[in-house]
Amino acid sequence: MAIAQTRTSSATSRHAGSSTHGGQAVIGAGTRIRGRVTGDGDVTVHGNVEGEVNLRGELFIAEGGRVVSDVNAESLRIAGALQGDVTATGDVAILAGAKVSGNVRGASVTLDDGAEMDGRLDADFVLPRELLGGIGAHDEDGPTAHR
Amino acid sequence: MASTVIGAGITIEGEISADEEIVVQGTVRGKLDAREGVIVEAGGTVEADITSGPLTVAGNVTGNISSSDRVDLQSGARVIGNVKATRITIADGAQFKGNVDMDV
Repeated sequence: MAIAQTRTSSATSRHAGSSTHGGQAVIGAGTRIRGRVTGDGDVTVHGNVEGEVNLRGELFIAEGGRVVSDVNAESLRIAGALQGDVTATGDVAILAGAKVSGNVRGASVTLDDGAEMDGRLDADFVLPRELLGGIGAHDEDGPTAHR
Repeated sequence: MASTVIGAGITIEGEISADEEIVVQGTVRGKLDAREGVIVEAGGTVEADITSGPLTVAGNVTGNISSSDRVDLQSGARVIGNVKATRITIADGAQFKGNVDMDV
């Protein structure tokens, strides 16, 4: 039952994240940006971005796209090249053909077969109860804390 | 179909250079260089010097404009800055403050 609950909540939050803001940007293959990209909405990069990316929305780096910048976003999908540290409140998907160099932090991180990654992966996950024995033994409300 | 679109809600601060058309529905600050042309849609804001091919403005532009082609200021446009272009139109309902420089 706990699993069913978390699934519905994550599905609704993803829907709200991608469609309610309305803003959407596409950086074409022939475009180069040096500076800061910020705002509400999803951004797709086919070209070059150097600087800083700060979004309430999804950043998609398409195949052939290149981002040299630290990235803060709700979620990320990477099929191109990324050099910089990533912090996502949601999911990070590093797809086949992607080249990522930097530390990646997200609620969940997936790394596809064929993706290149150089850096640290940092994602929250729930340890099985038997592995928590040593760590959370002093914690009285252990069984509910790591639901 | 433009290949670069800066959507509403998105802000870019810095330098944009493109060899394709750029459509601005959001905000751009800094410098904008697009040889294939720029369209600033209603609601879009550009606070930057623009170097471009054809330029169409229906939103706000603050900055100097240098176009190798034509500049069209449509109704609802608000432009503050000097415009250098080969041809220029200013529609009824467009606001413009600045100088016009045409090769004659």
